[in-house]
Amino acid sequence: MERIVGIDLGTTNSLIAFVDGDSPRVIPDPLTGDPLLPSVVAFAPDGQIEVGPEAKALLADQPLTTIQSVKRFMGLGMEHVSAEDHRRYRFADESGIVRFALPGHPYTAPEVSALILRALRDRAEAYLKESVHKVVITVPAYFNDSQRQATKDAGRLAGLEVVRLVNEPTAASLAYGLDKKEEGLIAVYDLGGGTFDISILRLHTGIFEVLATNGDTRLGGDDIDQRVAERFLLAGLPEAVQHDPHVASSARRVAEQAKRALSDHTETQLRLEVLEKNVRVSRTLTRQELEAAVDDILTRTLAPCRRALKDAGLESREIDEVVMVGGATRMPLVRQRVGEFFGRKPLTDLNPDEVVALGAAVQADTLAGRRTDMLLLDVVPLSLGIETMGGVMSRLIERNTTIPTSVKETYTTAVDDQTAVDIHVLQGERELVQDCRSLARFKVPIDPQPAGMPRVEVTFMIDANGILNVAALDMRTGRERSVEVKPSYGLTDEEIERLLEESIDFAEDDVTHRLIIEARVEAETLLHVTEKQLQQHPAFLVPGEEAKIRAAINALQEAKSGEDYNRMRDLIEELGTTSAPFAQRIMDTSISEVLGGKELGKV
Amino acid sequence: MTTAVVLRCWRCAHEHPATPFCPQCAAVQLLPPQTDYFSVFALPLHPALDETALTQRYYDLSRTLHPDLYQTGTAEEKDASLKNTMLLNRAYRTLRDLVARGQYWLELQGETLGKENNRVPPALAALVFEVQEKLAEIRDAREAGTGEVGQAVLAAIRADLDGQMQRLRTVLAGNLAQWNDGQESQELLAQLKQLLSEIAYLRTLLRDVEKESEVSWNA
Repeated sequence: MERIVGIDLGTTNSLIAFVDGDSPRVIPDPLTGDPLLPSVVAFAPDGQIEVGPEAKALLADQPLTTIQSVKRFMGLGMEHVSAEDHRRYRFADESGIVRFALPGHPYTAPEVSALILRALRDRAEAYLKESVHKVVITVPAYFNDSQRQATKDAGRLAGLEVVRLVNEPTAASLAYGLDKKEEGLIAVYDLGGGTFDISILRLHTGIFEVLATNGDTRLGGDDIDQRVAERFLLAGLPEAVQHDPHVASSARRVAEQAKRALSDHTETQLRLEVLEKNVRVSRTLTRQELEAAVDDILTRTLAPCRRALKDAGLESREIDEVVMVGGATRMPLVRQRVGEFFGRKPLTDLNPDEVVALGAAVQADTLAGRRTDMLLLDVVPLSLGIETMGGVMSRLIERNTTIPTSVKETYTTAVDDQTAVDIHVLQGERELVQDCRSLARFKVPIDPQPAGMPRVEVTFMIDANGILNVAALDMRTGRERSVEVKPSYGLTDEEIERLLEESIDFAEDDVTHRLIIEARVEAETLLHVTEKQLQQHPAFLVPGEEAKIRAAINALQEAKSGEDYNRMRDLIEELGTTSAPFAQRIMDTSISEVLGGKELGKV
Repeated sequence: MTTAVVLRCWRCAHEHPATPFCPQCAAVQLLPPQTDYFSVFALPLHPALDETALTQRYYDLSRTLHPDLYQTGTAEEKDASLKNTMLLNRAYRTLRDLVARGQYWLELQGETLGKENNRVPPALAALVFEVQEKLAEIRDAREAGTGEVGQAVLAAIRADLDGQMQRLRTVLAGNLAQWNDGQESQELLAQLKQLLSEIAYLRTLLRDVEKESEVSWNA
């Protein structure tokens, strides 16, 4: 059975997790042990690309070409880019899909995200010592179709098969093991780095039925950092200095650290120094000041909570448990406000940064066919419809409809010999087309006939990923008509193919890179085990043996820091052969000790 | 209206009535798209139903039919589970809601409310007139910048409309319960149509009130 791993592709940090035996586990960075991979990608002028902590370290020095929070740009067009983002990054185009102007060539958000996904895959492959192809990726529940499609595209561009997109709050509820509860209503409050979700679920012996979901895909912990930076660090500075990318980026970092510190302390020191811009700000910030400054941001999360409850037909006091997800929910004020709203103390036992990835791993395990005791019934977050006469949106699928779902519409022609019907698909809750999000346009081909004669049945289907699929059937001939869907804010299939082809040029490098990492990990494990044996069982060594083993260790140590994976492989084998008789002697004794009641040590 | 459909199992070729699983080899079967929503749940073809039983069956069927359980299955299994689940979800969404169920029942009788049916139902005429009047007053006051009283009035209107809705739903439940022995009843059918059009109108009215409520709240 092929393994499927779970990925939380977050605004601030990303994680990868798998199910180890029965319980989900996050895979840490092999060097630092950090479970989080900062979702930061840095593009150096020489074409070098860094992902994660190395990229984060470059943020202050090259703010314009270091992409942070790329998730906020997924599935968006240039018209959705804020003034703040225009100051922060350089874009390649003025309209159409978002493309960052970067050294080498422009990058779309899915391409940047693909680099993060590759880094996660490398981490998992090195840890699991097997190749990873299939993944489950989580998305904010309130992500629209374009944002979901962009996430799936990112997976494809990273060479991964995205078996399923799972909504983050739903994944979190799985991780909480709430399935052990027979019945109950739970609310998942998920305040991430850049997005806010609220989901209301009903649990029924292993079934997780989402009753309603709501949220704001442009509201998160980043807004809190931004507010603190503006109010307490940048406010007194000249306008031009405030908007300097380097200064603004440093201020946000200082603000974020202060926000974290104030979750455990009642006051902290703010210090911003950018000497080349003559900036030097130092002051004390109290928790009270922070809370007063961001209270309105937290209030903004309560309106979606109210709407979700209303859609679920529930009152806040009917909720049995409230689950907190996302780093920002560590703030005492967030817990307090949410506690007051639902009239109960929220659950915070699990690490709010890891809970989504853990849940994704659980769902991945189910999809791999490894468990059948639980089932997710999720919903589509936004109504889906089509443009009708007069610029009005006609709803076909209501929000909070359980997915997968489908609806059929029949179309005919208005003029003689018309050869196609144009369909414009929209998502949103407003009545006018201009107030809804355009998803895609497509043409249904029709055989030329007198007006009103043709009958074409179009099936709009939303799959279990929350993504729209369209099929058309000529009812007169019974023939399937293929429709070419042009996404409004996404990559077409051809564009993805082209990007994949281009990346084949780099594929050689990628493979080499992976082989090096794999060899390094194996070398590390072997070195660690051998060293431990030498220290714990010197009595098993025969004269002259230690010197030979030490020589092999030193050779491998040296090769490990290089890039020659073939040499690493050779030396791994050499160390293995040299130390084999010694290891065998230890094993033999350990086994006889086990028979005497002692446990076999991990070798 | 519904005819007994015979399915032929894709795996063992056994011929059987339209059930989601082959009685002989237990393979998942693609239900015919025209399967009526009651049959999906193996419920009697009657518009009044036991909602607890409906929900229980929905969960039971989801537990055996959901596409997540067939990810590693054959193409036939994947297709059947996906299409059956879409039908199941649609059927559940329709039947669990009294009004949607009433509308579906009307459709099964070969009738529709018709989209052109925008006339104010006579029984609601007085109420509609009164509400529209008040809404216009609130709107004018808001635009003139003197709209503080708006929210209280809106809340009162909403409470009134909610009460009306509750009453209509009770009558609708009574109507659906009276459909006996599959006998066609012109009287019941006429009452059903009238009730549904009144409910539809009331909903539009409620939406208008809510929209105004949101606007004046933000103002």
